[in-house]
Amino acid sequence: MFNLIPFLINGLTLGLLFALIALGFMLIVGVMEQINLAHGSLFALGAYVAYALLGPPLPLPAGVGEWWAELPLGLRYVLALVVAPCIVGLLGILIEQGMRRTYGKDPLFGLLLTFGAAMVIEDVIRSIWGTRDYILPTPDAISGGFIALNLIWSTYRFFAAFAAFVFILLTWLLIERTRFGAVIKAGAHDSEMVRALGYDLAKLRIAVFAIGTMLAAAAGVIMAPIWGIRPHMGVDAVIPAFLIIVLGGVGSFWGAVIAGLMVGMVIGLTAAYASEWSLLSMYILLIVVVTFRARGLFGKKSILEA
Amino acid sequence: MTDRITRRGLVKGGTMLAGAAAGFGTFYGPWKHNRAYAQEGKPIKIGLTCDASGMYGASGRDELRGITMCIDEFNANGGVLGRKIEWITADTETNPATASRVAERFITREDCSILIGAIHSGVANAITQVAEKYGTIYLNSNSSAPTEAGENCSRIKFVWDGNGTNFTMSSVKAAVERVGKKWLLLTNDYVWGHETSDATRKLVEEAGGEIIDELLIPQNTRDFTSYLLKIQQISPEVVAPAVGGDDGKILRAQVAELGLDKQAAWVQSQQDWPDVWSAPDSIVGIFGTNWYHKLKLPGVDDFVKRWQARADADAIPVPGNVSYCGYTAMRETLRAIERAGSTNNIAIIKELEQLKIPAADRMQDYDAWMNPDTHHLQQTIYLARRNPNPVDDTDLYEIISASKPEDVIDPEEGKLCKLAPYEQIPTVDG
Repeated sequence: MFNLIPFLINGLTLGLLFALIALGFMLIVGVMEQINLAHGSLFALGAYVAYALLGPPLPLPAGVGEWWAELPLGLRYVLALVVAPCIVGLLGILIEQGMRRTYGKDPLFGLLLTFGAAMVIEDVIRSIWGTRDYILPTPDAISGGFIALNLIWSTYRFFAAFAAFVFILLTWLLIERTRFGAVIKAGAHDSEMVRALGYDLAKLRIAVFAIGTMLAAAAGVIMAPIWGIRPHMGVDAVIPAFLIIVLGGVGSFWGAVIAGLMVGMVIGLTAAYASEWSLLSMYILLIVVVTFRARGLFGKKSILEA
Repeated sequence: MTDRITRRGLVKGGTMLAGAAAGFGTFYGPWKHNRAYAQEGKPIKIGLTCDASGMYGASGRDELRGITMCIDEFNANGGVLGRKIEWITADTETNPATASRVAERFITREDCSILIGAIHSGVANAITQVAEKYGTIYLNSNSSAPTEAGENCSRIKFVWDGNGTNFTMSSVKAAVERVGKKWLLLTNDYVWGHETSDATRKLVEEAGGEIIDELLIPQNTRDFTSYLLKIQQISPEVVAPAVGGDDGKILRAQVAELGLDKQAAWVQSQQDWPDVWSAPDSIVGIFGTNWYHKLKLPGVDDFVKRWQARADADAIPVPGNVSYCGYTAMRETLRAIERAGSTNNIAIIKELEQLKIPAADRMQDYDAWMNPDTHHLQQTIYLARRNPNPVDDTDLYEIISASKPEDVIDPEEGKLCKLAPYEQIPTVDG
C-alpha cells in the first residue's frame, strides 16, 4: 500500500491547474452564454507568445531584441505572464466583434464561428512558429525539484498551482465583489433592464470576452513548462475545460472550481492506484454526476425540470 | 400432377443455381481484386500515409521529408522504369480510423499502387488491413511494435524500422548484469507500448532480473506527477519506459526536471529524433536508435547534406532515424521495382523478400537483410545516451554500442508471423 498523502497533494495541485484551464471558458459560457471553442487555441497562442518573449531573441530593431534578451529571465517571465494575455485579449476582442452578430440567434452560429477561429489560430501558429515543439524556459527560482515527505517534487508545479489559486481568487473578486461584476451578471440575467439603466451592454460583452481569452492565455503560459508547447496543445486544454464546465454546472463559478479540483483529484488518485484508468476516470466522473444530476453539480435548475 | 424433371425446368433451375452461386461467390469471396493501373508513360503513384498531427505528428512530418526526398532523387534521374513517380499525402492524424479511410481513398480513388508511412502501430495495422484487401504493397517505414512483423505481418507489408524487441535485446542483458535486477515498466497503453514492455519483461526475467511493477500510461497523458511519485515510492533500480511521441517527450522533460534519472537507471527502447530534438535537455538514460547523423560511415555526410539542401524552414537542422527510415524504405522499394523490371506487386514483393543491403549502402555498421518469413528488415541496432562532449548543437547522442542484426533478432516474430501464399494476394500492377 502506498502512502496516500502525496497523491492527495498531487490531486489538489492538479485540480487547481484544471480549474485555471477552465476559468476563461467558464467566464464566457457563464456570463455570455456563448461556448468559445477557440478557448484551446487561445490557450496555445498564450504559450507561444510567452515563448516568443522568453525564448531566442526576437527579430526586433537593432539593439531592442538584445536588450530584451539581456533582462533577467525572472523579470521577463513575469512580463510574459502579463503581456501574453494582453496580446491574446486583443485577439479575443476581434473574435467578439464577429460573434456579436450571432447573439440571440441559433447557438450553432457561435459554435461554428469559434470553431473556425480555433482552426485559423492554430494555422497561424503553425505558419509563424512551425510545427516543432518548444520548451518554455523558466527562472531558476521556480525550476527543478525539492524534497518533502521523502519524495522529490516539482517546484514549478507548486508555483503553477499557486498562480492558479491567485487567478481564481482575482476572477472571483472581479465577478462577486466589483460593480463591474454585478453589472455583467445582471446583463446575463436581464439584458434589457441593464440597457434601460444606461449601461452599454456591447462594451460589457467585449470586456468579458477579452477577460475570458486573457485567462485562457494566462493558463497557456502557466501550463507551457509542464505540458510543452506544440500547435495542437489547445486540444489538450479545451476538452477538460468543457468537461469541467458541464460537471460543475454551466454558469457556476464555484461549480467550475470544485469540478476542476474533483477532476484533478480523481486523475491523480487513479494514476496512483489504477494507472490505466487515469484519463478515463474524469469521463466516468462526468457520467456518474450527469446521470444523477443532469445540470451538473451547481448548475441552475432548468424550467423543464420544474 | 407429376414431379417430372423437364429439360426446360432443368435449364432454368441450373441457370438460377449458377446465378445464385455466382452471386454468393462474389459476396462471400475470395475477395481478390485485381487492379491494373500500369500504362506506358503514366506515372507510378505512391500514397504517403504519414501522421501530420496528433501524438506522432512531429515524427510523421520528418518521415515525409525522407520519403519525398527519395522520390525527388529518383525523378531527377528519370524515375523508375522510365516512368515518373507521383506522390500524394494526407494527414492520418495518428488515428487508426482516419488512417484506414486515407488508405482506402488512396487505393480506390487515387490509384496508388504503393502505400508508405506510419509511426503509430495502431495506424500501421489499420493501413495494413486495407492494403491487404486490395493487394497494395504497404511499407511500414517507422512503426516498431513487434506485432507488425509478428502476428500482424502480411505478405504485402514490409517493416523497415527495428522493433521494440530488437532495441530491448541490445540493452537489457547488460543493464540487468551491471545496473540492477529490480525493474519497473512504464507502458504506453496501446499496441507498441504493450509489445515492447512484454519483450522487456521476458528479457529481464531471462537475464535473472525481476519486474517489480508495471504502470500503464494512457495515450495523451500530459501530467506524469502521479507516476513519478509512485516510482519514487516503489524505488526500482531500473525504469524501462515504453512511452512514445508527445507522451514520451513530456515524460522525459518531467523526469529530467526532477533529476529522477539519478535515482534509478532509465533504459528506453527507442527514441525518435524529432522527439529528442524538441527537448534536448531532457535526454535521460540510455536508449536505442537505428541511425544517427554523425555516424562515421560512408555516405552519411553526403546524405545529410542532400537532406539539408531540400529541407523546409520548419525542419530539424539534420535528419534523424525517422527521416532515414522513410528514405531508405522508399529507396529500396523503388530499386526493387527496377530490378524486377515490373510494377506488378507480386514481382516487387519477391524482389524485396530477397533484399540484402551492404552496410556501406545502408549507412549502418553491418549488412542488413530482409527476413523473407516475416518481411522485417534485420539491421544494426545502436545504443546511445546523451553526448557529454557535443561538437555542435545537433550532436546530442553518444553512440555506446552497435549490435549486429543477428544478435538482436526477435525470436518470437518468426513463430507468430504466417504470410499468406502469393496465390491469395490480389494482383496490382501500378
